[in-house]
Order: sequence, then structure tokens, then C-alpha cells
Amino acid sequence: MKNKLKYLVDVSLKRKLHTKWFMIANIVLALIIVAVINIDSVIRFFGGDFDEAVSVYVIDETGVSFERLKEQIESLEFSITGEEETTFDVKLYDKDLDSAKKELEGDEDAAIITLANDDNFVLSASLISESYIDTLDYQVLYQAIQNTKTMLAIDTSSISEDELNQIYAPIEIERIILDETKKSENESMDTIMSTVFPVVILPFFMLTIFLVQMIGAEVNDEKTTRGMEIIISNVSPRVHFFSKVIAGNVFIIMQGILLVIYAGLGLMVRKLLGTGSIFTSLGSEMTGVFNGIMQTEFMSKLSYIIPLTLVLMLLTFVAYSLLAGILASMTTNAEDFGQLQTPIMIISLIGYYLAMMAGMFKGALFIRILSYVPFISAILSPSLLVLGQIGIIDVIISMLIVIVTNYLLIHYGLKIYKVGILNYSSKDLWKKMFKAIKQK
Amino acid sequence: MLKVENVTKYYGDFKAVDNLSFTVQPGEIFGLLGVNGAGKTTTFRMIMGLLDVSSGSITMDGKKIDYSMTDSIGFLTEERSLLTKMTVKEQCLYYGTLKGMTRSDILKRLDELLVKFGIEEYKDKKIKELSKGNQQKIQFITAILNNPKLLILDEPFSGLDPFNVELFKEQIVEMSKKGSMIIFSSHRMEHVELFCKKLVVMLKGKPVLEGYLSDIKEQFRKKNIFIKGDITKEELEGITGVVSVEPHQDEYEVKIESADIATSVFDVVRKKKNITKFVVEEPSLNEIFVAKVGESFEK
Repeated sequence: MKNKLKYLVDVSLKRKLHTKWFMIANIVLALIIVAVINIDSVIRFFGGDFDEAVSVYVIDETGVSFERLKEQIESLEFSITGEEETTFDVKLYDKDLDSAKKELEGDEDAAIITLANDDNFVLSASLISESYIDTLDYQVLYQAIQNTKTMLAIDTSSISEDELNQIYAPIEIERIILDETKKSENESMDTIMSTVFPVVILPFFMLTIFLVQMIGAEVNDEKTTRGMEIIISNVSPRVHFFSKVIAGNVFIIMQGILLVIYAGLGLMVRKLLGTGSIFTSLGSEMTGVFNGIMQTEFMSKLSYIIPLTLVLMLLTFVAYSLLAGILASMTTNAEDFGQLQTPIMIISLIGYYLAMMAGMFKGALFIRILSYVPFISAILSPSLLVLGQIGIIDVIISMLIVIVTNYLLIHYGLKIYKVGILNYSSKDLWKKMFKAIKQK
Repeated sequence: MLKVENVTKYYGDFKAVDNLSFTVQPGEIFGLLGVNGAGKTTTFRMIMGLLDVSSGSITMDGKKIDYSMTDSIGFLTEERSLLTKMTVKEQCLYYGTLKGMTRSDILKRLDELLVKFGIEEYKDKKIKELSKGNQQKIQFITAILNNPKLLILDEPFSGLDPFNVELFKEQIVEMSKKGSMIIFSSHRMEHVELFCKKLVVMLKGKPVLEGYLSDIKEQFRKKNIFIKGDITKEELEGITGVVSVEPHQDEYEVKIESADIATSVFDVVRKKKNITKFVVEEPSLNEIFVAKVGESFEK
């Protein structure tokens, strides 16, 4: 029987792997992942440019403000955007405003700053652009103008250089949180999680869909073609059931590894193109998020978050595969299974969205309890763990609950499976299944 | 020996098989007959262990059939049980391996059978690309691939033309000569009469006729006489013991109550001129079945 189990697993895997659709799907996935990782190069290829410097034409009517503004922009662009290369090309424009406006035509990466003194000899400015300006670019320009205004005002006053430095020196705020388990660096974690986590958990969600569909389609195919009668007359329903569960899980582990390989391939392509780090190239917002992650405890937590998450995900994959097998055995055609799949997908989606919004719940009992719920715990528990809303022990409890769920699914599910796979009528379906569960 | 003993099967309150008993010896071809819903497929499923019996027992060589014995059983289901996306070779490797055969044994036997059934060119074709008749051949091949000790055939001739029925028949007879126990179902009586020595006829789950075919025909006293010559229908109907007279083109089919009446009919007929045919025949199994079913319905 062991050999037959191995053989059935082999056949299931080959039926999935040796199809042109598997090849096509993976080629598409590989291309998408490589493209996403090299999105800046892709955009540049189609004419876009992340690194193109914003041309700033300065019309300085005060005659003394340009140099200071230029210094401020150059200084602020590194501290605000975090980018290594310069993003602004600041030029003094000596013609009139109308001529400057003509320079802007068709150039979305350009802006005009006019500097003038108002009636009180205080600096006033206008910022003119063809279209919207990137938020961080605006912050740099706004702050630079503000600083220039302040400096000019100070120049006319009698403040010494030391006093000036003290005024400009950044304030040091000592952040104290009385709860010793929490650290100030993690305060921005909620924002970081809502940005990064959807990307991290998306493969889990995708693999769950692959798993459910694979098992459902195979059981359904064998059942509707009546091949099931021949198979079950040679191997027990238990062996058949486990063969589908094992094959499904091996398949998605392989698919998961392939996704990691595609990501590695994307990074290799990136290295070959010499485009540098992905975070710094994806614009200043991503750089900010990356810097935020580095400042938090997230990186140091990874040593236990990754293994715990992987184990919980694997256990949950088993739960999903058991459930998919049981439900597929009860269906009599592909349409039925399509409908039965929907609740599984909804459960998975709930987990996905709860994980994304985990930070909003501020560790409430409600979300804590939900993190123990099998099927959604695999993505909800790790996200709450990262946020510091639950501890390792809670994740271990979630694992134990999934293990118990898997045991129950095997124990009662097998009874349903044995009756379901040879049942071709949807009449009194649930009655038959409940009767099957009651059987010893 | 396959022994089905007092087997009853309930689906809820519905009795699908009612106290069925029969035995099949090695080398015997056994027929399980009945109209749709008679309980034939349920009986096969119980033999294969796909369904549990409600009461009674099914044994092969004295042991309850379980997964340790299924490698020596071949099963052809009534409906197509082929995975249509597979090629013929893949399908046979799949079912053959599940029967415990090695890859080389399967391929060797497959080549033999494909040649025998004249479809060797379809070996690498997908099942779904084959005609209904060829699919049935492949299904039959998968059932006999392992030279089973017990071969169960549920409506094996459905969708086959007379030529292929003959081909299947030859193979079934050959296997029985080699000692296989063969049990098959059909609602086509002529198929059963072709090569079945022993049978059971089921009606609504109940066996209504069982035993050796020769004994059944012997027990069924009514006979048919075919007469050709200068004699009228009225003259034949006037003979005591004649049940009915049916004209068929240039001859009459006379049904009589029992074999004894044939002599009375012959006495009348021999006095007539130009009698070119007088043949007394056994009733067909179909006639016996219809008569039995009729009786049962009337009850």
C-alpha cells in the first residue's frame, strides 16, 4: 500500500507539473516577479525615469536669496528623501516669468520658484509647475524656502553664528514609554506593516488558491469520469485521500520555492543591470519604509518570526488541503466544486485583510482570539507577532489549534471522503455526510 | 471460488439487493441479468468492497475480499471509468500499477492486447480522442491487464458493434479457459446466452431466476415450433395446448404450453401438403425472463 501511495502522489504531481499550463503559468509568474523587482528599469525602458532630476528655475527678485535656497535644497534633499543621488537641478533664471513658464511646457519634472520681498521686506515665494509635484519633492522645496526666509530674516537681525547654529540644531526628544515591553522605534510599525505585509503574505494566499484548486480539480476529475471506482477498488479511500493531500502540499512547496527562485532571478537581473538596491530605486516612499524597518526590532525578530511563520503556514496548507479534499469528494461535478471553493476563498481573504489591518486593532481581545482561528491564523498570527501585539506563546497556541483541526479533519473527513467519492447524487447530500460522520 | 451468500443491501429504507446468493467456480462464466435498477451494479460494488453489505457475506476462496486481494481482480464499470486526459499508455500504466504490476509487465501485456484488439496505433493517443467503441476496448484492456483471477464486467458490450462483441467474447472465453472466474452483467439476453452456463436474473433487487442455463430452459416447459407449409393460422390455434400463433413472413411461430404438445401439433401438420419446415426450439432466455418478470409484476 505504501508503494501505491507513493505512486499515486507521483501521478498527481506529474499530472500537474507535466502540463503546458503549469509551464505557461510559471513563465508568466517569473516574468511578472522579475519585472516587479526591476520595475524602475522597466519604467525607464518605456520612457519613464525615477532618477531624472527635477529642474528648478529660480527667479530671484531679491538678488540675495538664490545661493541660500540652492544650499538648502541640496542639504534637505538627502535628509528628507534619503536618496544618494541628487534629485534637483537648481538654476538661477534671469529672464522673465513668461519665458520661464515656456520652459515648463511638456516637462513634468520641472518647477519655477519666484522669490521676492513683500512690503515688509520678508521673503515671499511662488512655486509653479506643469502638473502635480511629488509629495517629498514639495516638502524639500517648501522646507528650503522656509529655511531661506528664516536665514534672511536672521541676517538682518543681530543674532551671532553660534546662536544661529543652536537655533538650527535638531531638537533631541527623549522618548520614554512606560510599558517596558514596547520600544519607541516600533511606533511606526503599523504603517510599515500595512505597506510591506500585503506583499509578503500574497504568495501564501496565492499558493492556498493553487492548493485548493489542484486537489478539487483532481478529485472531481477522477470522480466525474468514474475512474474513482477503479482507483478505490484497488486502493483504500484513506490512501487515495492522503495521496491527494501529500501531492497538493508537495506541489505548492515546489511552487513556493519556484517563486523564491524567480525573486532571486529578479535580483540577479537587477545586479546585472546595475540598478542598485530595490528599496532606494523605488522612489523615496519605499526608501522611507525600508529605513523604518531597519530602525525597528523587525530585523532582529526575523530569526524566530520566519521559522514560526513557515511552520504555521505549512500546517495551515495541510488544513486547507484536507478541507479541499473533503469538499471535493462531496461534489458531483466541477460546477459544484467551484461553488464549494468560494467559502474557502472567503475565509482565506478574511485572514488576508485582517492581517493587513492588524495594526488598527491595537491588540484587542477580538483580534487576539481571531489569531488562534485555524485557516486564518497562518497570516494573522505572524503579523500580530511582528507588531508586538501577541507573543511567541500565542503563535504556538495557534499551531496547536491547527494541529488539532487537522486531526479532526482527518478523523471525520475521512469518513465523509469514503462515502463522498462514490456518491454521484446530490440528493440528501448533507444527510448522507452527517450519517457518514456518525459511523464508527 | 467466489461465494455470494444471502447478501442484502439497503440504501436507507430502500432494499437494493434482497437475499442474493450464487457461486462462481474457476473457469466459469456467470451472468447477472436484470433491467436497469435491478441491483446488478450494487452487487458488483459490494463484491469489489466499494459498498458494505447490509447482511450476508461475500468471499473469494473462503476469505472476505479486501485490498490484499484486489490485485487479482479485474473490474470493468458500466460507465466509462477512464481518465480522458491521459493517453492509452498512461492510463494502462496507472491502473496496472494500482493492480501491483510492474511497468515492464504492463507495457508488454498492453502491446499484446492492443494488437489483439487491433488498436495498437492508439497507444499514445489521448483517451478523449478515441471513439466510444475504442474507449470501451481500452476500458476492457485495463480490466484484464493483470490476468485477473476474478473478472467483473458490468455491461461490457455497451456501445460495441457485433464484430467487437465477438472480439470481447473470444477474450472472455479464452480467460475462462485459463481458469479465471468471470461474472458479468447485461440486459441483453442474447449476449448471456452466447457463452454463459450459469446465471441469476434479478428483478428489483430480488433473484427471480437462477441456476445453470440448461436447467432453466429445461424447467421452462414452454417451447416454440416454427412451421412452414400449407396450413392456416386458425387450424393451428384450434389444437389443444397451443398458446399463440404468430405469422412471420412465410412461416408461423407456434407457442405451446409444454413439450408434449409438440406431438399433437405434429399429428395435425403432417396431414397437410407441402410442409417444408417443422422445427421445435427451446425458448430464448429473453422469453423466459419476460415471462418471469410478467409473473412477478402480476404478483
